[in-house]
Amino acid sequence: MTPGVELLLVLAIFIVLLCLGMTIPFAITVPSVIYLLINAGLPGLKGIGLVTWGSMNSFTLTAIPLFILMAEILQESKLSLRVYRGLSKLVAWMPGGLLQTNIAGCAIFAAISGSSVVTAASIGRVALPELERRKYNPRISAGSLAAGGTLGILVPPSIAMIVYGTFTETSVAKLFMAGVVPGLVLTAMFMIYIAIHALVNPSIAPKENGASNLREFCEALLDVFPFLVLICGTIGSIYTGLVTPTEAAAVGCLLAAVIAGIWGESNFGVYKRAFQSTTRVCGNILFIIYAAFLFSYAISYAGVGEQITQFLVGLKLSKFEFFFAMFVLYTVLGCLVESLGMIVVTVPLLYPVLLQYGIDPIWFGVILVIFIEMGQISPPIGINLFVIQGIWKGKLSDVVMGTIPFHLIMFILLLLLVAFPEIAMWLPSVANIQK
Amino acid sequence: MALESHLLDEPGHHIETIVSGPGLIEYVSEALSSLALIVMIVLIGAEAIMRNLFGGSLQITSEIGGYLLVAVTFLSMSVSEAHGAFHRVELVQARMSRPARIWLQIVFDACSLTISLLVTWQLGRLAFNSWNSGDVAPTPLQTPLWLPQMVMGIGMASLCLALLRSAHSKYAALQSEVSV
Repeated sequence: MTPGVELLLVLAIFIVLLCLGMTIPFAITVPSVIYLLINAGLPGLKGIGLVTWGSMNSFTLTAIPLFILMAEILQESKLSLRVYRGLSKLVAWMPGGLLQTNIAGCAIFAAISGSSVVTAASIGRVALPELERRKYNPRISAGSLAAGGTLGILVPPSIAMIVYGTFTETSVAKLFMAGVVPGLVLTAMFMIYIAIHALVNPSIAPKENGASNLREFCEALLDVFPFLVLICGTIGSIYTGLVTPTEAAAVGCLLAAVIAGIWGESNFGVYKRAFQSTTRVCGNILFIIYAAFLFSYAISYAGVGEQITQFLVGLKLSKFEFFFAMFVLYTVLGCLVESLGMIVVTVPLLYPVLLQYGIDPIWFGVILVIFIEMGQISPPIGINLFVIQGIWKGKLSDVVMGTIPFHLIMFILLLLLVAFPEIAMWLPSVANIQK
Repeated sequence: MALESHLLDEPGHHIETIVSGPGLIEYVSEALSSLALIVMIVLIGAEAIMRNLFGGSLQITSEIGGYLLVAVTFLSMSVSEAHGAFHRVELVQARMSRPARIWLQIVFDACSLTISLLVTWQLGRLAFNSWNSGDVAPTPLQTPLWLPQMVMGIGMASLCLALLRSAHSKYAALQSEVSV
């Protein structure tokens, strides 16, 4: 068997195990170890110890559990309920009413959470009962939450960007900054779409009133204020160069505890649940990352990564053709592979090719995250679809149909980023980022 | 050992998942993992304050931070397994009969256990070699490397036990179904 065929076999095993329902970290680890055994037998496993130590003993990756903990503290202290209540007064006057609140709520929660699932679940749990009670169109209600949740990995902090940055040795702070403007643009595009849709078809959303007087407006602002403090404290301090992303995560946890103490629920039970939940989520996410390092080691052991690079470079594609090939690859993968799995399996193979094509790794990081966002709402396995369906107890097909327009909007954003890379690259170029 | 079977409260899961539930090892791992997170926050927060207010550095933050991440990663694995918190694609399993689904999950647990044992062996070997050769970190702390490396082996071994308990829980659920 040639190395290329062996790799295809291993990828096939990965896809089959994944589709059959093996847990994702093991669906990556099992074919990786099999690949090592095929190539070199038991002696091939000898490097596992050093690879494990070299990859997981990483200061950059410490940001992941800390950002997870920060979001869990806010979730457990019931502050997500408060931000939704505040935003419903501030933005629900717009055409689309609470659907606008869904998107704005997801965007704000995304700025303190690095995960799409956490964002969709946090806002979805608060929003869906209210949307049902007020007779909003179920499809667009579910679709807006599933799609809005994906902002969690584009708007910094983003676990996907930390993982990408670790694998490609790209500055995580620059990646975070590169995600800000596209995240805001995508939020605006989602909101404009909802407004137009509601104006054309008013039956999708009842008319809502915003704050009726100055006092209500101020109360609404106060509900959103804790999140703004946290966002300024974390993202703002990265932008100004005061802290690194990892330090911002630690400072964010401390700020979240202070904010929960002042504005939310704060007792031993809240912190106990937050730490328990963080441990469970970390076990899953960090194990996927670890499995990916093993996968990366396995393909580099066989030298097949270099062959793939040579093959792809030998095709002499233009940048646009390469981008189109990426679009096809990630669209297909997005339907089959879980989001983090998609990064960790493809990036070690594709990153050397990017360098050969002269593609900026920061820009590509943002593009990749948007591909992953699309994957998260792509049937049959887009995880946000199941998160929202799980909360809503409605039909999965309705959630899927509801996300289709948002899918198209993400595609438009991708085209905009290809045509105008400055949308992503401007902020990192002006930010005073800590080395 | 009491066996527990329940529907998961994790978002994203929509089929029944039989889990063993946490045992003593998972409770200890969870507590240690939480402790590691607290130390991480204090240490990294202190580093940020030191640099910005006093223009200095603790010099040990990235080294200890890395060790703590290793601890969180490997200690949390068995906790996730015991709670059924690992993500998986449920597309095919949702269309299978309950016994077939449980059998498939047992087979997957067995495969996962085999691979985890191989990895545990390698991680144990690394820690033993570091201890044997007296390897220390090339840092001011000169931490003996076998100490943090041993946590990886212990975490992976705990995961093996958690997988064994998961498979046993599923088998017990199958048996009880047959006897009913």
